[in-house]
Amino acid sequence: MKPPPFRYARPDSLDEVLRILDEHDGGARVLAGGQSLIPLLNFRLARPEVLVDIALVDEFSRLAVEDGVLRIGASVTQHAAETSDEVARHCPLLSKALPLVGHLQNRARGTVVGSIAHADPSAELPAVALVLGATMVVRSVAAERTIPADQFFLGPFTTALEPDEMLLEVRFPAGTAARTAITEIAPRSGDFAIAGAAGRLTATDDGTVANVALALFGVGAVPQRLPEVERLLEGENVTPEALDEAARITTATAEAGSEDVHADPAYRARVAGELTRRIVEEMAA
Amino acid sequence: MTARPTHIGALVARVEDDRLLSGAARFAADISLPGMLEAAFYRSPLPHARIEAVGIGDALDVPGVSGPFTAADMTDVSPFPDFDEFARPVRIFPLARERVRYVGAPIAVVVADDRYRAEDACELLEVDLDPLDPVVTTDAALAPDAPLLYPDWPDNVVIDFPVDNPDANAEFDGRMAVSGRYEVGRHTGVPMETRGVVAEFREGRLTVWSTTQFPHIARTMLSYCLPLDENDIRVIVPDVGGGFGVKAEFYPEEVTIPWLAMRLGRPVRWIEDRREHLLATCHARDLVLDIEAAVDGDGRFRAVRGMAIQDLGAAEMYPYGFSPAFTAIGHITGPYRIPHQSVGLVAVATNKTPCGAYRGFGIPEAAFAIERLMDKAADRLGIGRNEIRRRNLIGQDDIPYTTSAGAIIDSGSHREAFEETVRVTAERVEHWRADLAHDSRIKVGSGVVNYLEGVTPTYYMTTGHWTAFDSCSMRVNPDGTVVVSVGVSTSGQGLESMLVTLTAEALGVRREQVRVVMGDTDRTPYGLGSWGSRSTNVASGALRIASDLLLDKATRIAGHLLEASPEDIEVYDGALSVRGSPGASVTWQQVATAANIRTVDLPEGVEPGLEASATYEPPGIEHVPDEFGRVNAAATYTNASHAAVVSVDTGTGQVRVLEYIVAHDCGTVINPQIVRGQVVGGIAQGIGGALLEQLHYDEWGNPQSTSFLDYHLPGATEIPAMQVLHFESPAPEMPWGAKGAGEAGIIGPAPAIAAAAEDALSDIGIAEINRTPITAPYVLGLIPGS
Repeated sequence: MKPPPFRYARPDSLDEVLRILDEHDGGARVLAGGQSLIPLLNFRLARPEVLVDIALVDEFSRLAVEDGVLRIGASVTQHAAETSDEVARHCPLLSKALPLVGHLQNRARGTVVGSIAHADPSAELPAVALVLGATMVVRSVAAERTIPADQFFLGPFTTALEPDEMLLEVRFPAGTAARTAITEIAPRSGDFAIAGAAGRLTATDDGTVANVALALFGVGAVPQRLPEVERLLEGENVTPEALDEAARITTATAEAGSEDVHADPAYRARVAGELTRRIVEEMAA
Repeated sequence: MTARPTHIGALVARVEDDRLLSGAARFAADISLPGMLEAAFYRSPLPHARIEAVGIGDALDVPGVSGPFTAADMTDVSPFPDFDEFARPVRIFPLARERVRYVGAPIAVVVADDRYRAEDACELLEVDLDPLDPVVTTDAALAPDAPLLYPDWPDNVVIDFPVDNPDANAEFDGRMAVSGRYEVGRHTGVPMETRGVVAEFREGRLTVWSTTQFPHIARTMLSYCLPLDENDIRVIVPDVGGGFGVKAEFYPEEVTIPWLAMRLGRPVRWIEDRREHLLATCHARDLVLDIEAAVDGDGRFRAVRGMAIQDLGAAEMYPYGFSPAFTAIGHITGPYRIPHQSVGLVAVATNKTPCGAYRGFGIPEAAFAIERLMDKAADRLGIGRNEIRRRNLIGQDDIPYTTSAGAIIDSGSHREAFEETVRVTAERVEHWRADLAHDSRIKVGSGVVNYLEGVTPTYYMTTGHWTAFDSCSMRVNPDGTVVVSVGVSTSGQGLESMLVTLTAEALGVRREQVRVVMGDTDRTPYGLGSWGSRSTNVASGALRIASDLLLDKATRIAGHLLEASPEDIEVYDGALSVRGSPGASVTWQQVATAANIRTVDLPEGVEPGLEASATYEPPGIEHVPDEFGRVNAAATYTNASHAAVVSVDTGTGQVRVLEYIVAHDCGTVINPQIVRGQVVGGIAQGIGGALLEQLHYDEWGNPQSTSFLDYHLPGATEIPAMQVLHFESPAPEMPWGAKGAGEAGIIGPAPAIAAAAEDALSDIGIAEINRTPITAPYVLGLIPGS
């Protein structure tokens, strides 16, 4: 469990980071918090030629709300976001999700952007990005572009990022109108989820709900929205029958491809329904 | 000499904690010697294969690399000797010869200036393996056409010990039979510190620092395997970060690293990494108990019969991996009056990591089976689960009681501990039900179980050699300080404190006067190490004999100096005083000065020097079971009652332990903090095995739990508040009545949690929980309609 040989760079500017990524054509990996990358190195499952440590690039540490958007830079730790009043005020779902990410020690180093870029199918933050319609700001030496969350996650540990690109920042729509919830089942506190559900919706005084967005994580290859369930609930009262139906449809329609030693796809699909029921019930209450 | 109890049972800080908690301890990985090389092993990536060739590949491109070394290079090394009379002989070579039988088996070793480069070189070796069909389950191993792990055997059976006791069978005539198949999963001890070996060969003498739990046995084994006399070998146990039984095996690396140091003429260090630990340190449990009980209409158990089916993995483990299964059979009746038993054993080889010792050593498996069966019988008869235990438990009137497995129970608080646990649990479960009543999806339940644990077992069944004795030497320095050296050795569990306390108690010296030496074959008398909850028991036995010899001499000297009769001398508070004459007193320094320096002050006929040595072999231990598996294999027996209060989420199946109650009786408690730590730590590990830990293999024999990502140990959030209630039934034959507390905590959690989860879901009614780990998917699958 020692990493293979690699070179280490610690540039102090974005341009230099991008230049190194460009120069190595996929052989360079960005090192932010290292909570996933370092174990992968030690297991020799990742073999970058060069690690590009972004700790010295000041602009990556920005966490700010501007023009109705919460912008989180590439080196903002999960702990910083978790304890940020701005995040709590403007993006409460992210605040609720962060305590579920690993343990405090992991969050002290792990970054919000790094978790999204890593795209672990069991991770919470990609699902949060999906539910909230976050935007990924991506740049290479040649160009900057943005990628909406629903086009970013392509498969387990696979994103729309090109080898020479870096995820600079994730932009979450800021807002307090919606109700949000997230829950998961994990063997232990701090583990990757066997299954989880995150959601947002708005509720009116007459008890109907609207703007429903629901997503599962840990169930399939990527975080997945639940369009049929969302349609079922949109504009309706959340009755016990509707909750049962939401759970049933979730189980029936979830793409539950994930199978490991902890749970099979059938369990994941079934529990996904139960967890979806719970977050909808919580949000509608 | 009258007893002036001063130290026994006192709540005093552990003497080793200053060192361990301040970072001053010295572990194997802290040892660094001039010119030292670091080793990395090339381990089999295949579960079953013939080794065709090991080539150097490009490994020499890595700077400073030597190797690879393989079995072919170790021509001067003998395989581990095999002493067993029951099982098929498994010849264990330090590095695999011809064939590998599990993923992780060491095939070759390379050394380099550091571990990074050694691993780089390992990766570049060209190892040609010819895959063979793997055998992954006991069923597959026992199939008529099964591939053979050991081609010169007719089948894959390592040990076949059928038992057919007609007295047990007769009990089934006309009685209700309750049966079950109880499977404890494959998990193992995962100490914070992994294994490690450092070796140096200088001037014809080998020094080995090893994380072993038995330095003297390790030295003897090294002498068997290497061309060295025991005199030419010194084994030192540095500070060790936990053993839990998995370091009470003698491993291939413990021969290979010393051999490399001899071959290369440079010190060599190997520190096991966590992946290696999960692949190459022994696994444990993986036992099925398929049993049935004959039960009277009032719930009284009359007999238990059935089979223990042990998946041994590749079986290349010494001391032998099948011994826990025998221990399970020896404990199958628990603390219950079940007059007859007839439980046999079949242990088979499969292409998985070899099984060996882990805290509990077969007793958790037995407790899981008999306690689950007792719950089932209670449910079937409509008797309460506590009531059926009440009707079967050994009471004070029964003691001494010989179980149908042959265990002689000479003391205990079985009923008292049980009733107290039941009482406390009833209160706590009501508290938790009220606390969680707001959530209709969460159900709360509890389960109470009992066990007894044989401590200080014979090692003969496990090694074919050693039995149960241990040793103690004491020497009083001229300044009155005392050096105590023993054959047991510590892995961090507090033995140093225990020995300081007992020495102070025995000699009447102050604790600060005592220095303990252990874990060094050059400086301690031969002993068997620390495992089997034995250390306090056997060390106290030897220490008492040695201290009596020493006191006899010291009081003669003191009497002479004080012009009093030796019989009138009492020892306490660092002095030897004339009883009833407080002013007439000499210090240990004065006595020891007379003995060592001013021998002119010695009385006539008293030899110079003030030291004594003794061994203690627990009486009454039997070493080999009879044809029905009966054997009194342990020096004494502890008992406990455990209760879990759990919640079950009916929507996900997730079980959480809300609170744990344990009434524990390990005989006399020498240090309540240490005993509590042992009990609580054991329960924590037991909860891990009950709910989380499983060493998974896929259907081709590839291990799936090779890191902490997939091997889930309980953390602080999974361990509940615990109430530890101490009972004390002293061991009658022991000087201070101490039994042993090392393993007990781990035995109860699985059956207690299983019972509690069933109890929580009793309104719904679920299928029986009959395996561990009790995961959320497993529990959800037991709920009807899921």
